[in-house]
Amino acid sequence: MLKSLFPTLGRFRLSVQILMLFVTVYGGALLGSYTVDRISKALPSLSCAYDKLTGDHCILIVNQHQLHHRLGAALAKAGDVALNVFIPTLMSVGVFFLFFFFLNKAFCGWVCPLGTVQELLYKIGRRLGRPLNRFKPENVGKVRPAKWFMLLVLVLGLPTLAGMGVVANEMGDPFCQVCPSRIATTLLTADTEQLAVRTGTSINFFFGALGNALFGFIIIAALAVRQPFCRICPLLSWNALFQRLSPMRLVKKESHEKCAKCGVCEKACPMDIHEIGTAFGKKAFHEDCTLCGRCAEYCPDDDVIQLKFFGFKLFGSLRDYYKNRIKFETPEGQPKKRVIPILCKPADNNG
Amino acid sequence: MKTLYLATLLLTLPATASAAEPATMAGHDHGTMMRSQARVWTELPVLKARMKGQDMSSRSVIMQPQNIAADAIEAWSNDLADAKGHRNLPIGMGGAELDKPATGGFQLLTAREVQGDAVRVASTVHYFGERGGKNPTAMFDQVKHELEIVPQPYPREHSRYRASEDWQFAVRFKGQPLPAQKILLETSNGSQAEFLTDAMGVATVHVPDDFKPEEEQSKGDSHGMRRSADFVLAVSHADGSLQYLTAFNSSYGANAFENRSIGMGLGFVLLGMLGAAPLLRKRKAVARKEERTNA
Repeated sequence: MLKSLFPTLGRFRLSVQILMLFVTVYGGALLGSYTVDRISKALPSLSCAYDKLTGDHCILIVNQHQLHHRLGAALAKAGDVALNVFIPTLMSVGVFFLFFFFLNKAFCGWVCPLGTVQELLYKIGRRLGRPLNRFKPENVGKVRPAKWFMLLVLVLGLPTLAGMGVVANEMGDPFCQVCPSRIATTLLTADTEQLAVRTGTSINFFFGALGNALFGFIIIAALAVRQPFCRICPLLSWNALFQRLSPMRLVKKESHEKCAKCGVCEKACPMDIHEIGTAFGKKAFHEDCTLCGRCAEYCPDDDVIQLKFFGFKLFGSLRDYYKNRIKFETPEGQPKKRVIPILCKPADNNG
Repeated sequence: MKTLYLATLLLTLPATASAAEPATMAGHDHGTMMRSQARVWTELPVLKARMKGQDMSSRSVIMQPQNIAADAIEAWSNDLADAKGHRNLPIGMGGAELDKPATGGFQLLTAREVQGDAVRVASTVHYFGERGGKNPTAMFDQVKHELEIVPQPYPREHSRYRASEDWQFAVRFKGQPLPAQKILLETSNGSQAEFLTDAMGVATVHVPDDFKPEEEQSKGDSHGMRRSADFVLAVSHADGSLQYLTAFNSSYGANAFENRSIGMGLGFVLLGMLGAAPLLRKRKAVARKEERTNA
C-alpha cells in the first residue's frame, strides 16, 4: 500500500513537502488561529510570521527580534547584560537546534515552504522545456559565502546594532524585509500586503524594493535554476554550524575507482554540490546539503550513498531502484513523459 | 438607526456614564479621576492601558477605567494552570497596575459596576509579547460575567486589529450565545456602526478606515504599527428587572496599505523578473543538441 503511494523517495519527500507547505502556510486557518504558538514550539520551522494564516513562525524572525529588542538594547546599557536577557535568545535558538539536532538539514529539504515552492517552480520549468543552469565546480564557490554574509549581517549584525541604537530602528528585521518567503507565503494566502513596498522611510523603501526585486528574480530563476534562494539562505549557514552534531546525516562509502567518474549523483544534486561525486566520508556531506536524498536515489551502486539516523540506514542507494527511477525522470529532474506535448521536449534516456 | 441604538444603550447606563453627573460618583473617586484624565471620545465603559517606564524591562502597564466606577479590575491569564493567573487589581490614584505574571501572554481584564438594576462591564485584552502567544481560547471560553463580548479570535502575536479588516466577536449571556443581538461600534476617530449577531451569536465587525491624513502620528516603528486609535463595542441586554451593558475595547491600526505602494511593489518584482529572464533562454549549443536528440 505504502509502496504504491510512495514508489520513490522523491515522491515521498514531495508528499511531505506539500503537507508541510499546508501546515506552515495555512496551518492557522486549518487548525485554529493560535496554532502558531503550539506548532512553533514543536516545529520552529521556516514559515513566515507575516503570513496571517500560518501555523508556524520562522526561527529567523524570532532571532532578529530578540537581538533587536533584548540583546541589542541590553548591550547599549554597557554592562547590564544579564542572564534574563540572554536566556530568551538562547531558548529560541536552543529549541530550534534541538529540533534541528534530529532532522539536521532535512529541515530545508523536506519542510521549508519556500524550498517547496522553488522545487515546484523548477518542475514547471522542466515541463515548459526551460534550460537548466547549473553552477560548475569552478564557480559554485563564488556563491557559497553569500549565505554566511546573510546570516552575519542581516540576521545577527543589523538587528543587534538596531537594538543598540547604532543603526536605524527599521533595520530590526532586515532579513525578513528581503526574504522572498515573506511575499511568497503571504501571496499563497491571497494577501497582497507584503507585495506592496513600504514607502514610509527611505530605509523601509530600500529594503522593500530589494526584497521585491529578489522575489521576482527568484520566481523566474527557479524555472531554470534549482533552489536559487536556498544557496544564499541564512538558515543554510545557521544549520551548517551544527551539522556534524546531528545523528541524521548523509553517508558516502568509499567505493570502486569508477565512482568518481560516474557523476550521476552530482547531476541529481539540486544544490550543485559537486563534492558528492568526488569526495567520500565526511567531505561528501557538504554544508550546503539539504538531505533531499536525490544523490542516493540516483546512485547506481548498492548502498554507496545512504541517509542514516543514529547509524541506522533510512534509505540507501540501490541499482534496481536507480534503474526504475531513471525511467521516469533524469537526475536533473527532467520528466521523461510528455505532459504538455507542445512545450515539453522529453529528455533522452541517457540520464 | 445607529443613533437610536446608541441612545437606547446610553439610557441603560446609570448616571456614572455621564461626565456631567459627578454626584453619582461620590463613592467612586477613582473612577471620577480616570474619567477626567482621558480624552472623552465615548460614553461607553472602557479600560485603557497606559505604559509607564522607558524600556521593556522596567516598563509597567497601568489600566485606567473610563466611564465606569469600579474599585478593582479583574484579570485572567491565558495560562489557566497558573493559580495566580486570576487576580484582582486594586484601582489606585493613577489606575490599576497590571502585574506581569510569570507565564501567559494574553490577559483578559474586566471592570464591573452594579448600581441598582444596572450591571455594567468594561472588558479588554492586554498582551505581554515577552510571555508568548499561548492559545487564549480556553481563557475566553470561561464565563466571567453575565453578558460578554468575546473576540473570536483575538489578534495573535505579530497581528492586531486594523482598519478595513473584518473581525468576529461572539456575544453570550450566561454562557449561551445571543442571536440577533445588536452590537454598537464607536471609535476614537469618531465613527459609529452597528452590527448584528448571527444564529450562533457571532457578529462580523468591520473596523472602519477612519484615520485622517492630518492625524499622522509617530513614524518609524519596525512593525508597521504607525498610527493607532481606539474602538469600543457595546451590547445591552435585559433579563427580568436587570439591565446589562457590556463593552469590549481595544486599539486598532491604520489600513494595512497605508504608506505602502502596491504599484511600486509590482514594479520591483517585475524588475527582478527581468533580471532573471536571461536564465530562461536556451543557449544555442544546448538547443542544437536537443534538436539532434529529437531528430
